[in-house]
Amino acid sequence: MSTAVSAAAPAVAQAQPRYAGILAGAWRRFRRNKLALFGLGYVVFISFVAVAAPYLTPYTYDKINPSIALQGPSWSHPMGTDILGRDMLTRIMYAARPMLIVGFATQLAGLAIGTTLGVLGGYLGGAVDWAVSRLVELFSALPWYLIVLYMVMVLSPSLKNLILALTITSWVNSCRVVRGLSFSIRKLDYVEAARALGIPGWRIVIYHVLPQAIPLLLWTFASGIPTAVFAEAGLSFLGMGVRPPQPSWGQMLADAGNYWMYWPHMFVFPSAMITLSVLAFQGLADGLREAMDVNVNI
Amino acid sequence: MLAYILRRFLGIALTLLLLSIFTFVLSRTVPGGPWLQGVEIPQSPQQVAAFKAKYGLDKPLWQQYLVWLRNALTLDLGVPFSMPEITVSRLIGRLLPYSALVGGLAATLAIALGVALGIASAARANTWLDNVITLYAVFIGTIPSFVMGFVLAYFLAAKLGWFPTGGWGGPRHLVLPVIAYGLPVSGGVARWTRQCMLEAMGSDYVRTAYAKGVRELGVMTRHVLRNALIPMITNFLPLFPGMMTGSIFIESVFGLPGLGKYFVMSSTNRDYPMVLGITMFWALLIACTYLVTDILYGIIDPRVRIAEKAA
Repeated sequence: MSTAVSAAAPAVAQAQPRYAGILAGAWRRFRRNKLALFGLGYVVFISFVAVAAPYLTPYTYDKINPSIALQGPSWSHPMGTDILGRDMLTRIMYAARPMLIVGFATQLAGLAIGTTLGVLGGYLGGAVDWAVSRLVELFSALPWYLIVLYMVMVLSPSLKNLILALTITSWVNSCRVVRGLSFSIRKLDYVEAARALGIPGWRIVIYHVLPQAIPLLLWTFASGIPTAVFAEAGLSFLGMGVRPPQPSWGQMLADAGNYWMYWPHMFVFPSAMITLSVLAFQGLADGLREAMDVNVNI
Repeated sequence: MLAYILRRFLGIALTLLLLSIFTFVLSRTVPGGPWLQGVEIPQSPQQVAAFKAKYGLDKPLWQQYLVWLRNALTLDLGVPFSMPEITVSRLIGRLLPYSALVGGLAATLAIALGVALGIASAARANTWLDNVITLYAVFIGTIPSFVMGFVLAYFLAAKLGWFPTGGWGGPRHLVLPVIAYGLPVSGGVARWTRQCMLEAMGSDYVRTAYAKGVRELGVMTRHVLRNALIPMITNFLPLFPGMMTGSIFIESVFGLPGLGKYFVMSSTNRDYPMVLGITMFWALLIACTYLVTDILYGIIDPRVRIAEKAA
């Protein structure tokens, strides 16, 4: 199978623009993984729900109505109502927002910091590399749940501070990847040739080193999201995330606190959403790894 | 080897030093403080000043830090603001067994189950058994421990009444937290074990062993497992301290009186000595585990030792 693909590739590459063949091959490999397809579908769906939430529901997430509190699922409230009589489905839909924001924002920030530090360390080497390596070592051997939790607490719990605190740890993986890669690339002949031509270091990094890192970085980005989703749910569960009345799945789970034994709908739906989201993003990351043929050994 | 261990110890000391400075500065530079917590009536400036003087919070930041550092070096981590009758070190000693028990047992469960499943799926790679185990590993690994905790508590405790729903009172209270915490991790362990085993199975010495007529069981235990064990140990040993610190969530689901629950409480109350003490304690434990892992790595893999001698 794989030999057939690589044999066909040069012919395609000649006929079409260079990237078309690569992307088609990647898509074919991605499609083979059912979980990855589900992940892609889910992410598109949940993003749509998060953006269009106000148009999809007749209720608001913060309207209190004690007369209908703690109702089980029904036609007018498919996921029931919570202790304050708020529609659970509406809150579930709005809660997709913090999940997506935290997932993408922390990974984007981590990617930016990690890539910068990684390139500096791996390409420059020497004392800079020593400092970057120590920093990575420092951050990978920390009880980081505690530090993130404490940081959010001290800065006062909010979505912004949660993202800030999670960013502190989210750069480590991409930094490690980029450092390793630029370390090995800078010894290759074409980089040597570029340097001999007198091309400045920053140009070599941007045009010759970083493009090589794109598949790996895309994968680190994707595989970091489930961790961030998990962390957002966990910290909101402990009351360290989004402030009420803004809903978050972890916080809804915590709200289920004393009622879950008698009104299981209060924990079933948030639980299902957290698990589904982690699974979907995980599947998407796995699919991307296979599609781009990334060799992961971190 | 001795020089290596010494260098690593220096690294650990540096890590802890930096972490303590970070945590210390973080807690002291933000407005508000422990004297504002749990007080209904506004306190007079004199009261606040008295509180600050009592715990030395009126001194410059660097002086406070140096005092803390000097005491910490003699294992004196101060007195928690919220519980003046006990020292931080003693409180950690009292709470640690709960977290250690839940985290340790959960890690043991995760590793035992995960390794067994991983070996089974590698030995029968690309069969229905492999597919079922891989499916299990992927799905179970995505369930957060607190979600798992709720689900188990609902069915096994509230509905069937087999186990208590929470609190502390003996081995029966441990069953659900340990399962809820350990099961999801077993998925990742199984995937990693399978990968390590498959890598070892693809090597030349395994083919040679088969060619010599060694039976499958012999090849699996003496050639494949022994080599796969090396990357497995380096990955699984850090699970123990990692899962002990991560038990915050499971402790709050089941209302266990462990270190994690106190950490959340202490950070809510701005109890500086407690937060700093617990953070440093876990960091030390994690750093030491990594060190032990790396030393063990040299002991179980002769190739590492030989490479070192040659160098």
